[in-house]
Amino acid sequence: MNVALALLWKDLATEWRSRDRVVAMTVFSFLVVVVFQFAWPRMEPEEIARLAPGVLWVTYVFAAVIGLGRTFATELENDAMTALALAPGTRGWIFLGKAAATWVLISLVQAMTAVVFALFMRVDLLTGLAGTASIVGLANVAICSIGTLLSAMSVRSRFREVLLPVLLIPTLIPVLAAAVHSTTATMGGEALTLTLLQPLIVIGGIYSILCFLLFDFVLDE
Amino acid sequence: MNPTPADRIGLTLRVLGWITLVLLPVWAWTVINSPIDSVQGIMQKILYVHPPLAYGAYLGFVATAIAGALFLFKGREVHDQLAIAGAEVGTLFCTLMLITGPIWARGAWGPGNWWVWDARLTLTLLLWFVYLAYSLLRSFTEGDERAARFASVYGILGVVLIPLNYWIIDLVGGAMHPDNLQFEENDSSLGEGMGLPFLVGNLTLFFVFAYLLVLRWRVGVLRVEADAPSNAGEGELQHG
Amino acid sequence: MKKVRLRGQAIEKRYGRVAALRRVDFEIEAGESLALLGANGAGKSSLLKILAGLSRPSGGTFEARPQDEPDAEPLKRDALRASIGYVGHATLVYGELSARENLIFAARLHNKRPTREALDQLLDDFALLDVAERRAGTFSRGMAQRLSIARSIVHEPSLLLLDEPFTGLDELSAERLSERLQAQRKSEGDEKRSLVVVTHDPRRAVELADRALILHRGEVRGTPSREASTSDTPYEADALRARLSELARESEAAARAGAA
Repeated sequence: MNVALALLWKDLATEWRSRDRVVAMTVFSFLVVVVFQFAWPRMEPEEIARLAPGVLWVTYVFAAVIGLGRTFATELENDAMTALALAPGTRGWIFLGKAAATWVLISLVQAMTAVVFALFMRVDLLTGLAGTASIVGLANVAICSIGTLLSAMSVRSRFREVLLPVLLIPTLIPVLAAAVHSTTATMGGEALTLTLLQPLIVIGGIYSILCFLLFDFVLDE
Repeated sequence: MNPTPADRIGLTLRVLGWITLVLLPVWAWTVINSPIDSVQGIMQKILYVHPPLAYGAYLGFVATAIAGALFLFKGREVHDQLAIAGAEVGTLFCTLMLITGPIWARGAWGPGNWWVWDARLTLTLLLWFVYLAYSLLRSFTEGDERAARFASVYGILGVVLIPLNYWIIDLVGGAMHPDNLQFEENDSSLGEGMGLPFLVGNLTLFFVFAYLLVLRWRVGVLRVEADAPSNAGEGELQHG
Repeated sequence: MKKVRLRGQAIEKRYGRVAALRRVDFEIEAGESLALLGANGAGKSSLLKILAGLSRPSGGTFEARPQDEPDAEPLKRDALRASIGYVGHATLVYGELSARENLIFAARLHNKRPTREALDQLLDDFALLDVAERRAGTFSRGMAQRLSIARSIVHEPSLLLLDEPFTGLDELSAERLSERLQAQRKSEGDEKRSLVVVTHDPRRAVELADRALILHRGEVRGTPSREASTSDTPYEADALRARLSELARESEAAARAGAA
């Protein structure tokens, strides 16, 4: 547990000093939102509102892929990955610390993106904001856990920039489907119920537990 | 001489081979003699081929995942070879499903419907991407032992995706684009005289899959046994 | 510092047609020093990685037990790692963190929280106290190397593993590093750590260890030691180098014979 906190602190401190992951993800997200505006014809506000959750989540997912690609970037220099592999005890805690740090960073970027998104898409995000934010936070758990594990695997490959998206995106499809479905409800003003949260709780739970247990096999030389 | 793993697999292979050899002509006979659908014509007969391919596509990945888990815990190459076999044969069946799917769709829904986003085809497509990811992971990871280990991990994750995707599509598919991604009540109405070829087809393709799986497995294990380092061996393991 | 002894029997590391280690036996008591000597590709790093808990052998048994309890259960791999300090050719430090922060992080990874005084002492021992707050990314190679060693012992391991630490160092720096390691060992007195150093340079092997395991193509081909040193087979750099050349010639001959 201490190990997880140590990693969480280390990643956030490093990010605070260099800010490269957050900047990369944020810039990319903004660009995606803008590109979408030029990609379709005139639409009525209702049509835009129906597309909005999908567009938001596509932006989030691709920004997450970018951010996750850099999860172990600091470990690559000086072979610090070996330092992590040398830590005693259950390696799952290392996974947890890393995933938690990514969760914080991704959530931050998503919050900023949401503002730009609401502005450019002219969509009302304030309706059901608490519900939407909860769903996003919960979906991030699934995204960050599977993303951290797959990032640890792809970082050892020469083709890591291609490999991670190929491995990751199929696993994010259920998250995407569930998240868009639930977000459509909350953005439409529906109250946040357990039914809306249930799919993401299940996916997040399965992914986190599996990745926690499997991480040991990924850190070996 | 003690029977090697390859020998034991060889025995299973011969048994499966004979069963398959018997079933194939039986199946062909039932398909040829089945009634021709009045609406869809002879194209409808794809129905006998397309759904049973699912056995190969899905069981292939299950074999990969279980073999991968065994490899992680026991470290025996024999298990990893089964995982590879599962992935290769599974990819084959999955690809065949994706080819016969549109042929059936065109036959069932008329011209212009080469692809339909029905739940099963969509699930098959998603599975196909997982297979692809698995292969790329194996190819792009440096170090044979590491590749086997990573592939085993991904295999376990991938196999969980199968029921997960099914559940999610079932849950939220109704409201999704494309057009109502739902599971239909019945696969397709099976009319008179269609039950038998369908049943035989399921059985036959299951054995075809099993035969191909074990065949590929045996090839892999033989290769491992042939390559086993002798005293004049090679150098260090790669460390990526 | 928990003392452990390591024992390996018929250790194998292979996958497919590559066999890095074949039937390797060894024993390392607490406080002993051992050099793993051999040409490139001999299997030295593979063996060290197994000792470090970074990989699992494909065959044979590898056990670590507390030194004074021969009947105790062997330590599990993840528990053994708590007793291990590792120095590789990379420094394993984070450039964005300061020297002090790197040490704190390394300690926390091992569930230790050293006091400020202990850290200061460690930094001072390695002449890093006045640059303690500087980002490690700005360090020279020598400073980074010292930080790397400090990082490897901050959690007070009982076993120190060095994987070709002299790679990439010029002659002078290598000398200095060797001296520092020898001094470190002397300062440990009775509480000596076990030391295993991987090197292809017989000179360093003799400087740092009392015993060597000569590896060739994954097999043990000699166990010279200072204790068993005779005038015929002295435990000296030249003698060891001669042995390595002999082995190299042997495999060249075998390769030619095989190709014929």
